[in-house]
Formats: sequence, structure tokens, C-alpha cells
Amino acid sequence: MGTVQIRDVRKSYGALEVLHGVSIDIEDGEFVALVGPSGCGKSTLLRMIAGLEDITGGDILIGDRVVNDVAPKDRDIAMVFQNYALYPHKNVRDNMGFALRQRRVSRSEIQRRVDDAARILGLEPLLDRKPRQLSGGQRQRVAMGRAIVRDPNVFLFDEPLSNLDAKLRVQMRSEIKELHQRLKTTTVYVTHDQIEAMTLADRVVVMNSGIIEQVGSPLELYDHPASLFVAAFIGSPPMNFLEGDFLDATTFALADGTRLRLPTADPKGRQRATIGIRPEHFTIAETGWPATVSVVEPTGSETQITCRLAGKVIRVLIRGRTATRPGETIHLAVAPDLVHFFDAAPVPAVAEMEDVA
Amino acid sequence: MSTDTEKATGQTSPLRRRGRTTDLMVRWSFMFPAILLLVTMLAYPIFYTIDISFSRFDIATFGAAEWVGWDNYREVMSDYRFWESLRVTMIYLVIALPLQVVLGFAIAYLINVEWAGRGVIRALFIIPMVVAPVVAGGMWRMILDPLWGIMNYWLGFIGVGPMDWFGDPTLAMAAIIIIDTWRWTPFIVLIATAALLALPKDVFEAARIDGANWWSTLWSVAVPLLVPVIAATFVIRWLGAVKMFDIVLAATYGGPGKATNVINLFIYEEAFRSLRFAESAAMAVIVLVLTMVLTGLFLRASRKLEELF
Repeated sequence: MGTVQIRDVRKSYGALEVLHGVSIDIEDGEFVALVGPSGCGKSTLLRMIAGLEDITGGDILIGDRVVNDVAPKDRDIAMVFQNYALYPHKNVRDNMGFALRQRRVSRSEIQRRVDDAARILGLEPLLDRKPRQLSGGQRQRVAMGRAIVRDPNVFLFDEPLSNLDAKLRVQMRSEIKELHQRLKTTTVYVTHDQIEAMTLADRVVVMNSGIIEQVGSPLELYDHPASLFVAAFIGSPPMNFLEGDFLDATTFALADGTRLRLPTADPKGRQRATIGIRPEHFTIAETGWPATVSVVEPTGSETQITCRLAGKVIRVLIRGRTATRPGETIHLAVAPDLVHFFDAAPVPAVAEMEDVA
Repeated sequence: MSTDTEKATGQTSPLRRRGRTTDLMVRWSFMFPAILLLVTMLAYPIFYTIDISFSRFDIATFGAAEWVGWDNYREVMSDYRFWESLRVTMIYLVIALPLQVVLGFAIAYLINVEWAGRGVIRALFIIPMVVAPVVAGGMWRMILDPLWGIMNYWLGFIGVGPMDWFGDPTLAMAAIIIIDTWRWTPFIVLIATAALLALPKDVFEAARIDGANWWSTLWSVAVPLLVPVIAATFVIRWLGAVKMFDIVLAATYGGPGKATNVINLFIYEEAFRSLRFAESAAMAVIVLVLTMVLTGLFLRASRKLEELF
């Protein structure tokens, strides 16, 4: 049984509390991604599940057993680290078999399980090499191999792809996904990269400064962000935000007095609000919000247009190509169900930062 | 701007040549003080020693008199006392070096755990290193004194002793090794502590998750990761230990008999007591060559180890 239950878990370092009561129920076989900016507590939570950090408050259950005071080796978990954490002086075979040897598994059984894992991961030609003779991607594959030979109840991944270059990262991402579909082992995956979280996970947990902002399937988070933070964090390029006042149900006035006609009213009927629209949800129309184009970036399949609306930078992503040139004025339209309303607040800076990363 | 480009593209070659000469002069003028220092303090004494080792030494001029070829070397090689002090030095090195390296790394491994007051203990560890060797020797002479030394007093409580630390040949060597170890182990602890702190933490965490116990974490993770540092530390300590002189001078003066008469003390005695400068120069050259060969071997071995791990 590979369920993981996290019940009101807290973590303090001295007087400083970094996790303020976090609860998540993870089903057997589920792939859950913990995502958030650095310092949000996602790695700490993962390390608490692993047993590498003490639990200050609350309970963590693996299967039906409270593991708060269980040693890491007895939790039946396997972990993949960001820096691979391979034993540098052992070859690939011994790296993968080390945990089994510690458990006094017979030599022939170790050999069989290591060979199996090596076949799954395509590591067979590398079994006699030392870690330093491997590329980054191969090392990470060995680290994954070390985890799967143990056939644990739960896999824990701590930013496993952060040290790889962009292309390899995409490749390894699909390998991890394929591996999970094949083994169906419960997986908790920590990342700061929302794309990784969205593409890999059955459910994504968005964390921010020690609390959970929202838990949901990737598309739930994308379609119905529960907070401004989630809205800003999920999606690339990030959502556009405009802060202003409602003059009536669908007339929205920005700080400089510009009035925009919204296609729908705020369901909560707020006086002041921040509205959010994803770049890919804008269409260029005959009428709509007038915006001045400043940059046009074609990538072939789609085109990103950066424009200014009442002095605010707005990103628009359209499929295909456009004849629009910088300096021109375009009119932006959006479907009623694609406008998100939030309480008026400054936009979390994280959106821009993660976009750059 | 235009003249800059001209210079850069090499249109005016005399200017460029002068630039190069100036550049060379600047370089050498920076190196000159160091070169001067090395030549006077290192090169000159070495060549002087080599020179008199092949000559008859003239006390009156304090220099080489006439060329005698390998005579001094032949004489030294047939002197049993020379071999005896080489043997004594070997005994000291073979016991003291591994002892200090193992002890140093073991202590570092044990005190590497987080605990209050660790910083104070680490600071205290430096004290033996800053004590002058002669003072250390004298201090330990008092501690180990057979009649009123505190060591025998303490050993008396556990029913050992009284031990004649400086009268018994074996115990005298043990005393020298104890004093030397007291003095140098903290240095190794410092290096080892720094090395331990620099080790990747996640490998140890991976070992914890993999179920490695304390012992297999030590042997399968910590030691292999530390091997390059251990090898380097050994070479550094070896270079210090072959020069062993001061502690012996202060504590036992080579005695009893010749039991702790290490080679450097013997050379010193032969030169400045017996005034046999040419012979001691020959011995010094032999020791220098031996040291260089062994150091080269150790360096090679440590590089091999680094490749292996």
C-alpha cells in the first residue's frame, strides 16, 4: 500500500516556523508534484516524508503506519536527489545494488533486480562504469535505477532535473512519466518548474511560504486558480494582470482612468479587483481593448506579442503567424469564461522570475 | 582612437617590440625578490652542501678544500651509526605517520556531529600546534618524568608503572611518538574537519535511505570520499615528519643510548659537535635524495588513488 497521508504537518527551525500546517492525502499509485518558488517549504516537506528532517508537529503516514519516528531506511521509500548523490567510487551496478546489499539480499537476487532496472532504464552498457564516467542524464538515470531496484512503496524526487540542460530535461521528463506509468508506484515529486509539475503529475500541490495555496489536477489549476499566487505561478508565459475598479458590472477602470469593457461580470461582485487573462486566451479582433504592439516574437507554431495597454505590459500568445508590426495598435478580445477575478492585490513577483528560469 | 587601432593591428612594429621588452622587464622585476630569496635561502645552501660533501672540509676557510670524489659518501655508508639512525627514523615514521593520520581523521569524524561547544573544542585543538616544539619537548619531559611526572602518577591509579619513560629505549621512542602525535594530530583534525564539511551531504543522506549503518556509511561512503584528502594529508605530514629534530632535541637528545637518535639529530651532532662537516654534508645529501624519491612515490600513489576514487 503506497498511500501517503500528511496531516497538519509543521516544521520549525528554532523559533522560525517554515511549514505552517500542511495536509495532503496521496493515493496509492498517484503522481503528486509539490511545486512552488524556492523557500516555500516543498523540499523540507519531501525530506520530512523521507525521514531526513524531524517532524515538529503533525503526522506523516506511509501506508497505514505513522512514520514520524521511523528511520528513513525502514519507511520503504526511495529518493532521487538533485545532485544525483551517487556513491562516486562504486560502479553503476554497485550503486544500484547498495541498498539491497545492506538488506542482506542474496547475490543472485541483487544481480537479477539490478539487471531488470538497468534494462528498463537503458543502463545495461554502463553497468561497469563509475559515476564520473557518465553524463548528467546518465547519472540521473542511475539514481532512478537505484530507487527502482528497491521496489519501494513510494518514490521521492527532489528536483531531479534541475541540473540538466533544457533539452535533456524534456527528454528525462517523459522518461520519468513513462517509468511511472509502467511501475505505478506512488510518487512525490518536488520541483520549482511549473511546467514539469503540470506535465508529470496527476495532482499538483502549489506551495507558497510554508502553506498550500491549492491542490488540484494540472488543468484545474490552469482553469480555476484559487488565488492570485497560483494564477501567477501556473502557466507560461504567465497570466496578465490588471488592477482596477468596477464602475458598473462590466466596466472596469484602471488606475490611469482607462476604461475597459469586460465580457462578463465578477461573480463575487467586488468593487475593486485584479483581473487575470492568460496570454493564449486573447484574440486579436476588430473591436476590443486597444493596445500598442512593442515586440513581436514569432516561433513558427505560435507568435508572442508584447504590447502596452494603458502603460501596462500585456503578453499575447496567438497560434500561427501575424502581420502585426511594432508600433501598430491592435484590439484584444477575450471569451467571457476566460477572465479570472481576484481580490485586488499586487501581483506576486514569482511569475516573472519563474518565467525567466 | 585611431592610434589605438594602429597599435593593435601592428602597423608600428618598433613600438610593439619595445612594449614587449618592457613587459618582460616588468614580469622579471616582479619575480626578482622571490628569486633572490630562493637563491640565497635555498639554492645556495643546497649547492654548498653538495659541494662540501664531495670535498675535504677546511675548518680554517670554512669551505671546500680539495675534491675527494665519493670518499665522504663511502665513509658514511660504512658507518653503522648512520644506518642505525636511519633505522630509528624509519621506526618513528612508520609508527607516527599512520597513527597521526588515522587518529586525526577519526577524531574529526567523531567531533563532526553538531553539538554545543564544538567551536571551543576546535579552538583548543590548535594549542599544541602553536606551542614551540622545544617548549613542547620540555613540557612533556616534565609530564613523563619517571620520578615526579604526572603521567606515572596517573598510570599508578590504574596499576601501571612506574615507567622509566626516558631510560628504556622502547619507551623513549614511544615518548617521542606520543609528544609528536600530541603536537601534530590537531593539525590533521583541522584538515580532516574541513574535508568532512566539504563532503556532499546528499550522498550520506542517500546512504541513510539505502539503509547503511554507521559502519558501512564510514567504510562505503566517508572513507572512499576522503581518500584523496587522506593521501594529501599523509604527504604533507610526511614532509614535516622527516625533518623531525626539535622534539627529540628537547625531550631525549637521542637517548637513551642511540634509541631515539633520528637522522637529523645525528647529522647535526656530527657536524656541529664532532665538526665532521664533509661527512654530515654527504649524509644530508643522501637523506635529501631519499626524501625526494619517497615523496615522489607518495605523490604518484596519491594521484593514483585520486583517479581510483
